Amino acid sequence: MGNYRFHTPDGVIDILPQDASVKRKIESDLRELFSGYGYSEVETPGIEYYDVYSSENFVATEDLYKMTDMDGRIISLRYDGTIPVARLAATLMKDEKPPLRLSYIGNMYRFKKTGGGKLREFSQAGVELLGIQNSEADAEVIALGIQSVLQTGITDLQVSIGQVEFFKGLADEWGLSADDASELSTAIDQKDIVRIEKTAERLGLSEDAKEILDMISGKFGTYDVLDAFEAKVKNATSLSALKNLREILDVLSDYELLQYVSIDLGMLRSLDYYTGVIFKGFTYEVGFPILGGGRYDKVISTFGRDMSAVGFSLGINLILIALRRQDKLPEFVEVDAIVGYADGEGMRKAAFATAKELRAMGNKVVVDTEHRSEEELDAYAEEHGIDQVVFIEEEEDSEEDENT
Amino acid sequence: MITIALSKGRLAEKALDLLEAAGYDVSAGREESRKLILEDEKTGLRFIMAKPSDVPTYVEYGAADIGVVGKDTLLEEGRNLYEVIDLGFGACRMCVCGPVSLKGKLDQIPNKRVASKYPNITRAYFEGTKKESVEIIKLNGSVELAPLIGLSEVIVDIVESGRTLKENGLDVLEVVADISARVVVNRVSMKMKEAEILPMIDALRKQVAIRNAQKAAEGK
Repeated sequence: MGNYRFHTPDGVIDILPQDASVKRKIESDLRELFSGYGYSEVETPGIEYYDVYSSENFVATEDLYKMTDMDGRIISLRYDGTIPVARLAATLMKDEKPPLRLSYIGNMYRFKKTGGGKLREFSQAGVELLGIQNSEADAEVIALGIQSVLQTGITDLQVSIGQVEFFKGLADEWGLSADDASELSTAIDQKDIVRIEKTAERLGLSEDAKEILDMISGKFGTYDVLDAFEAKVKNATSLSALKNLREILDVLSDYELLQYVSIDLGMLRSLDYYTGVIFKGFTYEVGFPILGGGRYDKVISTFGRDMSAVGFSLGINLILIALRRQDKLPEFVEVDAIVGYADGEGMRKAAFATAKELRAMGNKVVVDTEHRSEEELDAYAEEHGIDQVVFIEEEEDSEEDENT
Repeated sequence: MITIALSKGRLAEKALDLLEAAGYDVSAGREESRKLILEDEKTGLRFIMAKPSDVPTYVEYGAADIGVVGKDTLLEEGRNLYEVIDLGFGACRMCVCGPVSLKGKLDQIPNKRVASKYPNITRAYFEGTKKESVEIIKLNGSVELAPLIGLSEVIVDIVESGRTLKENGLDVLEVVADISARVVVNRVSMKMKEAEILPMIDALRKQVAIRNAQKAAEGK
């Protein structure tokens, strides 16, 4: 085999100063935003027992990075932020009264195909609102998700909101088997009209049902979509899903965020995992959603605590790509000022004091360590694009020297 | 600007015809040249000419908004895309084929060796649908050779007329899937460029419906 010492493995990257600085800024802004909404940050381990992820088929186990520990137990690198937080809420935090508002920012690891901005190690920021099962909670999380994306500097944001119970209600009403429901929901999720029609035909669905399927694939909007479906749908589960969406829109309207969202009832992924509203956020220039989330009321109970939950996560690496391609990366300045000093008693000490003052004002300040003269320092600053040069010398004497 | 990835060759021609019939100016796409990107500022359309098996990749990653590609490629590549229209042309079938003598006896051979240009489709069919483990041998062309020369018992390949099979003493044993050209859309583009893409899909669907109706009429 070749020598790999100069390379990083597939799907992981070095992050260089400009990106690192933007990334840290985004992370600290998000941290502030989350805590401003009363979400407390938790830090879960970078490795988990494999069982945490595998027991309930929450994730495709092929996608987990797996190792064994000293006792032969299988451990896995952290795949996402939600499942460990669910474990935490049901175990160490089991005596904390609901609701819990928790957030995390950290690296996740997925052993998947890479490309198009998808990495195997990537940073996610997210929140989980645990213990409240109503539309206000759903809307709070969506609103915070939207504000998080806006906070990063992205302005073109489109969030699609769906509700998996809407389809589950229809599947029940139409008497579909689990396999048939899964076949139909996959076709809907892929907007594969031909397959939807064929499946509907095979299942002998009524004309009314076919019309609803048609609407699911073709209708996007906000209140108008809900009106149209409410007039058409009869089963209680689907109607209450529509009511949930209507209430969410009402709340988002009060947040003044309605312009970012649209309803898409054809979003039907991970039906075993999600139990209510689901949403995804998109922007230009990246081929994958940058924001994703939803309600998952059954997950925490698998860890032994009956607790509803809704949350989102944000793909920070994808957002960085979007910011770059949209030309929205802030200008990167490595150093604002350089402070040099002349030879002589107390000069270095004065330089340090000056640098400290400049830093206190928020500048990035380097103190010259190579004893440059004032001219050399000017040339150096010019070459390295440093705006400000300060040279410390004995004022009176040097003035006089120059004059003589 | 909408970027459309076309599968180089006959499929690209037919896709351009259909777009034209749907009222789009596709003269940029027809330009006779060796250029791989054909762009028209006026119409807001940009065509890229890609190898068919790469079209789903361009679209999934968002390098292209829309793609026209065969269902065989989509099945083999298994990408996460919206698959919005069955264009109807390029119709054929993906089949398990083998010696005529194996007809109806396929399930009696244990530990089958299957040769194919489509290892993923083959695996999904045997492991997923038939619940059977097989040895898959990846070939790049003239797959019919494999059972003739003893490299494999059967093959999984595209069958159009079936003539090559017949002339070599092979036949269709089982049908895996019906294949035809599809229009795929990137999941993000569908949302971010909805105003351009949805009308295009509608117009194309109408054209396809007209053509299907014509075909049906001719058939009668």
